[in-house]
Amino acid sequence: MFEIFVCMLKEEWRMHSTLFGNLNFALFPILIFGMAFMGTFLIPFTSRLMDVNMLAVSIHSMYCIMGLMVGSFGIMGKEMMNRRFGQGSLLIHSARSLPISERRLFGNFVVKDTLYYFMLWILPFCLGFLIASPFNAISIHYPLLMFVTASLAFLTGMCTVFILSSVYSRSRAALYAVIVLAFAAFVALYLLSGDIMRVMRLFMLPSEIFLNFSFPLLIISAAVIIVLFIPAIFLFSPETHAGEKRYIAALCPLYDRLSRLPFIRGGIDAEKVSEKDFVYAAAQKELTIIAKDFIDLHRSGIGIGQTLFSFVLPVGLIWLVLSVLSDVLMPEQIFMVIAAVTGIIASTMYTWLTEFESFSAYLFLPVKVSSIIRAKIMTFSVLHVVPAVFLIVIAAVTGVLASAVFAIVFAFSVSYYALAIMVRYSGLSPSLMLYSASFFLRYSLFLMPPVIILLGLAFIATGFSLAALILIIPSYFLLKGSFEKWDREDLPGF
Amino acid sequence: MRRYGAGYMEPVIEAQGLTKDYGELRAVDGVSFSVPKGAVFGLLGQNGSGKTTIIKMLTGQVKITEGDCSILGVSPKVDPVRVRSLIGIIPEQETPPSFLTSIEYLQFVGRIRGMGDIDEKAEFWFDFLDFADKKDVLCKDLSRGTRQKLMFAQAFLDSPEVAVIDEPLINLDPVMQRKVKDFLKSYTKDGRTVFISTHILENAQEICDSFAVLHRGALLYTGSVAELNEKGRKLDDLFLELVNRA
Repeated sequence: MFEIFVCMLKEEWRMHSTLFGNLNFALFPILIFGMAFMGTFLIPFTSRLMDVNMLAVSIHSMYCIMGLMVGSFGIMGKEMMNRRFGQGSLLIHSARSLPISERRLFGNFVVKDTLYYFMLWILPFCLGFLIASPFNAISIHYPLLMFVTASLAFLTGMCTVFILSSVYSRSRAALYAVIVLAFAAFVALYLLSGDIMRVMRLFMLPSEIFLNFSFPLLIISAAVIIVLFIPAIFLFSPETHAGEKRYIAALCPLYDRLSRLPFIRGGIDAEKVSEKDFVYAAAQKELTIIAKDFIDLHRSGIGIGQTLFSFVLPVGLIWLVLSVLSDVLMPEQIFMVIAAVTGIIASTMYTWLTEFESFSAYLFLPVKVSSIIRAKIMTFSVLHVVPAVFLIVIAAVTGVLASAVFAIVFAFSVSYYALAIMVRYSGLSPSLMLYSASFFLRYSLFLMPPVIILLGLAFIATGFSLAALILIIPSYFLLKGSFEKWDREDLPGF
Repeated sequence: MRRYGAGYMEPVIEAQGLTKDYGELRAVDGVSFSVPKGAVFGLLGQNGSGKTTIIKMLTGQVKITEGDCSILGVSPKVDPVRVRSLIGIIPEQETPPSFLTSIEYLQFVGRIRGMGDIDEKAEFWFDFLDFADKKDVLCKDLSRGTRQKLMFAQAFLDSPEVAVIDEPLINLDPVMQRKVKDFLKSYTKDGRTVFISTHILENAQEICDSFAVLHRGALLYTGSVAELNEKGRKLDDLFLELVNRA
């Protein structure tokens, strides 16, 4: 049992250090430490704008979402690993060739992930908080408690995705039913209590423990994790073979439909393409890749899962967090903050389109890397209907519909600018930014200052949010340079 | 380096001093060879000898550290996309996109290559390689053998002048291996060229006209199969002798 655990730990380290470089990856926890340390000094200032309770809920929710992400990646199966890492696969799948049960492997996997990500995310954060606390008259009780509560939040997220994936592997309808029930329970409790903070603290129990520690609550929180985990481990199977899936050929009809969209080069006729007609030839290739992307999103089910976990959940959570600032900020100002956050999170849709793609499958075909990137950007553009609808819904619910157009322009400008930075520094591997300290720093330094300045302008008057359109200029030049760069260089990781 | 016998036409593939470094690791070291038009050429070597890296350099999939090469007069250093548009490639370790069906994948490749009559050509390959019943199956649900057939089909879909194949017979059953061998031998009869890389020497001796032996990134030997057969020598004996001497 111990050998498996040690090998899994080594595997996790090597997976990340292979992708990001040893030093880059090793600097990541130091970066987290630095952010927590400096962030602690800002608490006396931010507490004037945001209630400390809400800050605690936000941080614990963030760790819960991290747990969701970590849990979902590891169990996505050999197929996803092949697409992500080429012919690689994780030890968790080795029950197929070794005399070891899947449950034992899974148990080791959970312990490994808990320890590994505690060392990577929780420990540096809590240490930064701990060391900075005495300088800010914060009782040492809180950072010490955060070691426990952040871990509980992370484990809650991770075990939630384990049980959900086990349910999904047996019945997709059951999964949707569980999600709908959870959402309905949240809404019902909110309507009954009228206090969003109270409901959030109930759903995010570790944050309640942090704010009002009691042993019974600690036991309940641990029990929730066990209740989620035990059925998951019995139902768990890293791969389910559902037999051959057959589909009617959809690529060509989808290609034809997409070619009629006004913003995609239309009227491409294969018969008109000649060797010298490079513009039409390139457009035809890009359109083919776009059609394939939509088929991938639809048939893999990633579109729905990613939409929920990578977009609706985090942005929805931030919306709830910011809604308690209504005493301090005007509704239009809160809405603009949501728009900025929506733009940043929307840019990660590029990650959805690239994370599980095997780009070596393209490299032996006559297509440039820049064409692949351009195709991904076009698909990314079509997917922007998701954040647009999301912002319109929030605007309607919060009574700021008149600001919807401004918010959409602001969000889209930020999204494309963030995309341009990602493409420039990571090409077709934007998930590099996750643990590469240098990449994460560059991304933050390029993105945050202009977004904060533009947000400040939007706070003065909603109409000033249109100034975000200026981001089109750096976005254009970043992308133009990116196309030339990635056509010239070997892609990272290939 | 041995020269080819009289009667061979001008080379369609040429490599001069090809070198590839991955950091401090020299994967390919100054390899030079040429492949005449109308030949089936075999690049032979053990696992990890650099065969796949050479193929990737020839086809512009990775950047060349030193040296140069060309296929049909086009250098991948100058225009890698053009090189890949002129040839068909079967990579060793590639699987087709998981969520496309077999027919969709051939349509995908056909569209990328700007082909017409894709469906007609695809139908031919489904019948020839005997996997028409898998046309509408997702690629991720295909067996390895069927995936290899699909990769074979995509490489030859447009009847390219030059086909570059990394391990052509991998995962194929004996019946299909026979069919593919016969196909490759007949493919060059009207002047087209096939470049294969393999470590299965019996197959190489059966289908290749000429060959080169690679060992730890360096070229040890080039020669013709006809000369070997005249001397009554087996390719695997020659190979073992060369590798043991190196």
